[in-house]
Amino acid sequence: MTALKRKREEIPGPHKSPRVEDEDQMMEGDQDSEDSGEMSAMDEDEAQGEWGGITGSNEAVPPEGVHTGKKSKLPSTGEELRAIKDASDLFKSSSFKLQIDVLLPNVRPKASRVPPLERFLFALHSFLKEIPSVAPQHPLEAARKLLKKGVAVPYSLPLPTEETNWKVAFEPPSDITLVGSWANKVSVKPKDGNKFGVDLAVEMPNSLFQEKDYLNGRFFHKRAFYLATLAAAIQKSKMLDIDVSYESLQGDTRLTKLVLTPKPNDSVNNFTKIHAKVCVLPILSTNSPIPLHRLSPSHSNIRLNVATNITNDDTKAAAHHPTPSYNTALLRTLAPKFQLLSVHELQNDCPAFSDALTLLRIWANQRGYSEGTRMCVRGFEGAGPWWWSILALLLNGEERRPGATKANKRKSVGKGLSSYQLFKAALEFLAKHDFEKEHVFVRSPEGHRYPPEEYSSGTEALFVDSASLTNLLAGVPLGSLELLRYDARQTLDTLNQASFSGDPFGGVFLKDCRDLPTRFDIILQVNLTSAKPRNASAHSTIDFGSPANALLASINSILRLGLGDRSRAVTILHPSSTPRSLSQAHPSSPDIIFIGLIHDPHHAFRLVDHGPAANAEDEIAVQNFRDLWGDKAELRRFKDGRILESVVWEVTTADERAHVPSMVVRHLLKRHFSIQDGDVETWQASFDALLRLPPSVSREYMASGVSTGFKGALTAFDNLVKAVKKLDDDLPLSLLTVSPISEMLRYTSVFSPIPLTSSLASLLPPNARYLAPIEIILEFEKSSKWPDDIKAVQAIKLAFFERIASTLMNSVPGLTAKVVVGDGVHGSLILDKACMEIVTPEGWAFSASIWHDREVNLLDQVIGGETSTLPHIVSKKEKKRSAEYYEALEAKEFYMRRFIHAPRHHRAIATLAHHYSAFPGTVRLVKRWLASHWILHGHISNEVIELICASFFIDSGRTVTSDTDTEKTMQHLVPTSKERGFSCVIHFLKEWKWEEGLFVPLYGAAAAPASESLPSTSTRSGNASVWKVSTELDKDGHVWTHQGPDLVVAHRVHALANATWNCLQGIEQGQLNVQSIFIHPTDDYDILVKLDPSVLPRYFHNVNADTTLLTKRGKYANKTQGDETVGLMPGFDPAQLLFNDLQRVYTDTLKLFYDPFGGDSIGAVWDPSLKEARPFRVLGGFSSLPVKKDKAKDKGMVVLNQSAIISELERLGYGLLKKITLHA
Amino acid sequence: MSTIPSNVSGFTVLPIKYSSTATHYLYARSHVSKADARKVLPEGRTLFLVNVPPDATERELVLFFKHSGTVEKVIFNFEVKEPHHEDSDSEDGEGDEDAMDEDAADEQPRKRRKTQPPAAPAVIPLPAQPLRHFRKTGSSAYVIFLDSSSLERALASTSKPRAWPKSSEEPSGLAHYRALYDSLRPPLDAVRAFADSSIELYEYELAKSKQKSKYRKGEAVVDEDGFTLVTRGGAYGKTLGGGVGVASKRFQRSGETARNRGNKKAKKEKEGFYAFQKAEKQRSNLIELKRKWEEDKVKVEKLKAARRFKPY
Repeated sequence: MTALKRKREEIPGPHKSPRVEDEDQMMEGDQDSEDSGEMSAMDEDEAQGEWGGITGSNEAVPPEGVHTGKKSKLPSTGEELRAIKDASDLFKSSSFKLQIDVLLPNVRPKASRVPPLERFLFALHSFLKEIPSVAPQHPLEAARKLLKKGVAVPYSLPLPTEETNWKVAFEPPSDITLVGSWANKVSVKPKDGNKFGVDLAVEMPNSLFQEKDYLNGRFFHKRAFYLATLAAAIQKSKMLDIDVSYESLQGDTRLTKLVLTPKPNDSVNNFTKIHAKVCVLPILSTNSPIPLHRLSPSHSNIRLNVATNITNDDTKAAAHHPTPSYNTALLRTLAPKFQLLSVHELQNDCPAFSDALTLLRIWANQRGYSEGTRMCVRGFEGAGPWWWSILALLLNGEERRPGATKANKRKSVGKGLSSYQLFKAALEFLAKHDFEKEHVFVRSPEGHRYPPEEYSSGTEALFVDSASLTNLLAGVPLGSLELLRYDARQTLDTLNQASFSGDPFGGVFLKDCRDLPTRFDIILQVNLTSAKPRNASAHSTIDFGSPANALLASINSILRLGLGDRSRAVTILHPSSTPRSLSQAHPSSPDIIFIGLIHDPHHAFRLVDHGPAANAEDEIAVQNFRDLWGDKAELRRFKDGRILESVVWEVTTADERAHVPSMVVRHLLKRHFSIQDGDVETWQASFDALLRLPPSVSREYMASGVSTGFKGALTAFDNLVKAVKKLDDDLPLSLLTVSPISEMLRYTSVFSPIPLTSSLASLLPPNARYLAPIEIILEFEKSSKWPDDIKAVQAIKLAFFERIASTLMNSVPGLTAKVVVGDGVHGSLILDKACMEIVTPEGWAFSASIWHDREVNLLDQVIGGETSTLPHIVSKKEKKRSAEYYEALEAKEFYMRRFIHAPRHHRAIATLAHHYSAFPGTVRLVKRWLASHWILHGHISNEVIELICASFFIDSGRTVTSDTDTEKTMQHLVPTSKERGFSCVIHFLKEWKWEEGLFVPLYGAAAAPASESLPSTSTRSGNASVWKVSTELDKDGHVWTHQGPDLVVAHRVHALANATWNCLQGIEQGQLNVQSIFIHPTDDYDILVKLDPSVLPRYFHNVNADTTLLTKRGKYANKTQGDETVGLMPGFDPAQLLFNDLQRVYTDTLKLFYDPFGGDSIGAVWDPSLKEARPFRVLGGFSSLPVKKDKAKDKGMVVLNQSAIISELERLGYGLLKKITLHA
Repeated sequence: MSTIPSNVSGFTVLPIKYSSTATHYLYARSHVSKADARKVLPEGRTLFLVNVPPDATERELVLFFKHSGTVEKVIFNFEVKEPHHEDSDSEDGEGDEDAMDEDAADEQPRKRRKTQPPAAPAVIPLPAQPLRHFRKTGSSAYVIFLDSSSLERALASTSKPRAWPKSSEEPSGLAHYRALYDSLRPPLDAVRAFADSSIELYEYELAKSKQKSKYRKGEAVVDEDGFTLVTRGGAYGKTLGGGVGVASKRFQRSGETARNRGNKKAKKEKEGFYAFQKAEKQRSNLIELKRKWEEDKVKVEKLKAARRFKPY
């Protein structure tokens, strides 16, 4: 820069030509912009100085007017520029920064409403100072006195007894301080309309305590009495006039505090508007007589036998178990003041600290790591210090561990980071840190109070903060931390996604992510009322503060042990504790908890759990294993010769394999806590039932022993391909490839495919004899012999079919093949509508069509006419679009979909199904759901559903192709159970704004460039569909939404998803009825056509089939004898055909809905626009009825002739329908 | 129901009694001829019907008008068919296989008339069954009577609804679908006969059109202005005129010449060569940055207005 300046000075002013002048100005403009660009990197004042200097030199340049003109084009001041640069450099993007700026004030208390609260706090302060002291007295006696005033003393376990020889007393507090987030102005609005917490630390005078008070909860009893006295005084006070209640964090009586909430009155101190509560926490002063070295986590401070058996001497105390959580609870009463100072220091050190903390807490609140009325993750109540300590760890670094080298010491981050960067760093820590194995000691200037070895005894996670030197994760189950880790990883994935199409901001900060169904692979609802721990110890009960806490801690550790690597997270959830009245001494514990599991797809469905070897030296390991599993543990010899203790989980079907983790949980709960199966509820089985055939039908299949399922279908397909390939000598062209395009060959059909032979069919009732044909595409080698005419091509195809069919029947005994010459609807000669129907000897039906690659060119010729061959000749006259043109257009669209897109789609979906075991199940459930609500098929294609479901498995920009490593894909954070996948899709459909479309990167980045050369497939301009689901190879997103849904149906899907979602939410109340989600309400339909279930070949697929109609005999016992030989009719479904015909015939009159899976009614609504009378038109397109002429008007008016249409329906569906119901 | 007017916009209303409660209404008018359709639809004895029942068959309409006179034939949905179907007979509603063979059958006689070649091979049709064909509701049809007096009678007799005759020959409902299913799967030898004869016909037509074409192989195509048409040839690069360079396919498609020719020139100037270019670039970058910032601001303001930023 200085060089340039010098250069400018060198140019002599007087003899400067205008040309040079111009150039000079240019350079200066350049200079300006360069500066502003650089400046963002510089410090503020330095940049300012430079800036000023240049503007100064600018003034020397003569033509100022021109210069300022130029300058105005530039984005104004450097200040602003720097802000803009910062936003895009230090934050994710400028819009992200702006959104953060808007978000933050919304979660903070409004400054204008603070004064009444402050006035109240002053009043409270002076009031507390003047509470009269209470003379020392026996704890029980003191409690009785207080109880008369309606205040119970929340003594913790072990309760004081009559023999107790110490006394409780009260003296006014020696100090009152405002502490916590409110004092530091980092309060974040809590979830579910809870109030801001204003923590008031009330220091209890040292004179109340003695040295030995750390033993046996004596300190807590004294604190409890102190608290109760305060409560009684405040409650009585007329001056304060406020509601007082107790609240115990995590149901731990030792952590009880007073909660003051304003009464609705109009005093000046009424702080209702700020929506806050004042919490009074009695704390211990730093120089109290209680010796801190006694409170190290390895110390035992509960002498149970002292209480029961006084004769024991002190030497026995060494044998006592340590009481880490008791000790931590005591240490916590020391912490608030230290923490206050520590946060303040951090705020001074790092300007972005407060914002980052707020972001982190919003993030955590949205995910249930806080108080709330919905299901919250256990262990995060009152976890305020934990959140800022994470940031403190990042900023200050970690304490040097004695063994650790410099290399593996965690590095601290810079203090100049932006709030977003700090937030992300915190997530990074949460996502990467292994809480189970690694202990964290935040660096503290004075060093830590207790050496790390002291902590080693506990099984808990350890995170010792720098200020209070307590373990902030005491009482937080490891399972909750696993979930935290999972969530952090998920959020990081979203934030790091380069190719993310939308704005991640909403998903990270604004969305409530506490919904159980989308969060966990399995949710178990457990009723704890009858729980009896097998080996409960009084010691752990007292250490954890209450029996419930001890129970939950033990459930968590046993489940974690039992599930092992099956799950990524085992989390206990329950609503957080609520304030209780002063007369209730002890907090109530939750009766019903939820256990959420997130599977590790690698191991979750393992059938055998291996234990230690039988001959192992380690007797204890064997003993532990047997103790964990009880009678389930058995000694087994494995193929590789090892003899191991093991547990085997019996499953009979593939569906049941997905139940193994929940079976493990049930078993463990039953063994260790005697919680019976009836008290544990999962919803898996009811979901499974939806995808299964009714038992009466599947029994026949089981008995016949045919190979069924996707595996059977694939084998049949392979055999067929082999059989056709063998015919090469008999066919004019040899077969190149056979591509499957059926959902039955890619694991995504609702029902697993089944074959049907005529012998089997005769065993089944007539309404269970549907045989679904599997669609495949034959491609022959290229040949010049194909005719150059589209109609002739179709004729040749028929000839091919005939040839294949007759030779195939000769070569494979028992196989039947037929040529299907059309679909009965389309009369077009150029449409590829013929196919070959093959039924293999095993009873599998295939429907084959032939792909000829020149077809599309021939169709293009018809579509483009002359111009396709000679595009440079522009014809003057607008050609009339003939019917032929539209026919060809339709044929081409059909061709592209079936022969180009379908095989590709099939391959991609099949790959995905191989990689993610939950994907096919998800698709099947969603299809079943849409079908049962009469929308699938008629309005929404199968493929688009597959695409939407796929988006949950590939969305994070990670595409799955056939060569992707299976190991890698296992790491992805995708749903691992079909129930979770289903909930995700429902949630998506509920939230989706379809105008925005959905992009699914199904084919991977490699496929993208190829798409440009592809001609646009949807040439039809007016597309009825409002959904837009695009892939790399289908930019328009209409290949699979060609048949809808239109606006009406899209709204319907939205409404259904909403209702279903609400139903799924019922899981939290434990009242989810899965079946009810799949039952369609029929009240909205104008016409309801009831079909006769006995003639529907697919009735056995019906979601709510009446099993009495599915018996072979039917009504007349003697009728069945007649038809012994049953002809197979693959793909024959008259109800579907009728529905298709009705849809076609009444397209402008009625909107029809039907469940393709054996639905027994068709619903229809009138087009509302036809209700009005309208003038008669020849091509009106609906059946009408003339109305009385209005004299004034000349035109004849007509109105919809509803009754005639109903009778037409009756006529069209003669023999199929039972009755037609009309709704007014 | 007595208030139903007897005619609407010039159409006579013909009530049909479906059942005791439901009445369907046909709108009938004597057909007014258009120049091109005169041959097929004789004026004076053709009745134009609107709102024909969707499942009506020719037989049913014949039966319905039996009382007014004998019907020669019925043509459904005439207007939407393309002109060359004019001389097709009325069977085109009878399912696709019929359509297929009738289509082939009606095309060739026309051409024969002009050129008088040796007899064309006939397509052996697929076995056809009488089947209903469902049309869109509210469609139209022409009924051609044998004489004009029947037409008058048909238009006059509107007084009381007559029952809709039901032809038993074409099944309906479930039986229809069974019959359709079977008829779509004809015996293999019938398929072969049909396919073979269709291909024969195609080859015959191909030969005929080659013969008919006024351009012979190797002869230049000269239009009336005297210009010779030069196009790309077939698969092996034969051009009709021969020996003349023809625009590439790429050019034909897009109208652009090959990219390497034009682009060379444009690339000559380096981008960051002059200082002013750099300056300009930086300036525009900054302006762009600012613009985006402002855009984002507006967007966020909008979201704020929609109260989106209340997380809970």
